[in-house]
Amino acid sequence: MSLLAVSNLTRRYNRGGETVAAVHDVSFAIDPGETLALAGPSGSGKSTIARLVLRLIEPDAGRIEFEGNDFLALAGSALRAHRARLQMVFQDPLAAFNPRATVARVLDDPLRIHGIASRTERPHRIAELLERVGLPVDLASRAIHEISGGQRQRIAIARAIATKPSLIVLDEAVSALDVSVRGQILELLLDLQRKQRIAYLFISHDLGVIRAVAHRIVLLDAGRIAESGNARAVIDSPQSAIGKALVAAAPRLDRTMQDAS
Amino acid sequence: MSALHRFLRRPEAVAGALILAALFAMAVSAGLLFPGDPQSIAGPALLPPFQDWSLPLGTDRLGRDVLTELFHGARTSLAVGLAAAAAALAVGAVIGTLAGFTGGLTDEVLMRITDAFQTVPSFLLALAFVSVVGPSLGVVVVAIALGTWTGPARVARAEVLSIRERDYVANARVIGMHPLAIAFREVLPNALPPVLALSSVIVAAAILTEAALSFLGLADPNRVTWGGMIAEGRTVLRTAPFLSIVPGIALVLTVLGVYLAGEGIVETTAVRRGLS
Repeated sequence: MSLLAVSNLTRRYNRGGETVAAVHDVSFAIDPGETLALAGPSGSGKSTIARLVLRLIEPDAGRIEFEGNDFLALAGSALRAHRARLQMVFQDPLAAFNPRATVARVLDDPLRIHGIASRTERPHRIAELLERVGLPVDLASRAIHEISGGQRQRIAIARAIATKPSLIVLDEAVSALDVSVRGQILELLLDLQRKQRIAYLFISHDLGVIRAVAHRIVLLDAGRIAESGNARAVIDSPQSAIGKALVAAAPRLDRTMQDAS
Repeated sequence: MSALHRFLRRPEAVAGALILAALFAMAVSAGLLFPGDPQSIAGPALLPPFQDWSLPLGTDRLGRDVLTELFHGARTSLAVGLAAAAAALAVGAVIGTLAGFTGGLTDEVLMRITDAFQTVPSFLLALAFVSVVGPSLGVVVVAIALGTWTGPARVARAEVLSIRERDYVANARVIGMHPLAIAFREVLPNALPPVLALSSVIVAAAILTEAALSFLGLADPNRVTWGGMIAEGRTVLRTAPFLSIVPGIALVLTVLGVYLAGEGIVETTAVRRGLS
């Protein structure tokens, strides 16, 4: 059974009196430990789908099943408890954290909220999490705005894995990083996936990165699925018009991505 | 350069801070320098200032020492001004945050209540409240706060409306934080700077309102207030104008000091945020 099953998801926006569907009748599924890429041009509905799956916004129609439960039926404290299993890493690692927070507080929040560790245990857990994402333990006392972008994105990943999720939504999680850091972060994500069988919903416009890390791909165009299938197969020989256009526009990154993976 | 350095480079801010420091010193030392009841009779009535050096600012109609009253009045002005402003800022920030963060019906209800309070002149509101409940220090504080919390509430709401769309608020929801915890731990602290920028204006207004209430006789009768001293001196304004002028000058300096120091703090912190 799939970990996440999204069926007929639709979300409409009201733009200047007329209704526009940002996401229209989208269905896909993710298996445990799998990476599914969502790709498409700007405005194709990638981020809207991410926010729908995370219940940050509500769909107008469709179903979301997560770990066998009707995820859209959850509310209040039941929904908050389930959020432990479904995490997200944001694109901009600076905007994703409270500007007043310290690293320790950022990592302490999920542990405290989901009762994962007692007050006395939490500093150890925070140190463990920092080690797991390859950061020095003494970073914990630093303010979040003092550390580098790459470190911040590692903190975001540490925060996401703190609650032992089965699925992490990566919304352009490596797009804001420079190329050398990007390779390291992708490596970290793949390593975590191997060790903990975490599934990723990998949202990106970078086909080179997708080809390197994703198992399957869903190509979106104007809120609809244009094409889906094995990531390499689709990127190597796209069938849809939008797929061909995206592949033609992508810089040739094959060689650099093989180095990274 | 530290914020303190930038603050010290502004002469008007330093002047304001010095006035406030003097005022604080007066308020704190009042009990030490002039122990006992400030309203007790200390000498002959209506002694002009600078005549008798044991009573440097003279005495009022009943022979009470004006300097003693001035020091003890500083306590009332500061206590009421700061307490009323703190109450107004706290209530305003909480209500504004709830309205902005929750949205929908809660927002609508809270903002219409804010409108209702804002349409009533705040001094009339304070006057009516003290008249009904009876004059005491606490009641005066509440009365002044009643008319001034709406400003901070509006500013806080506007700020929260922009902050609640940020990624870190979405991130807090993703990790399962309770909405109230998000509102008060993640959103409110980041919405505070523009709200706190209002504090100097509010403290100054609160001190003036307190003085005006005292002038009208609506102050705690057991406390000396500058407004009460001015009112007291009014009856002998032609023969002993200093009785109204001395507390009047103290009041003007205090409000000026609060404004200048407050503006200085706002300006220096604004520079710091602009640079980062």
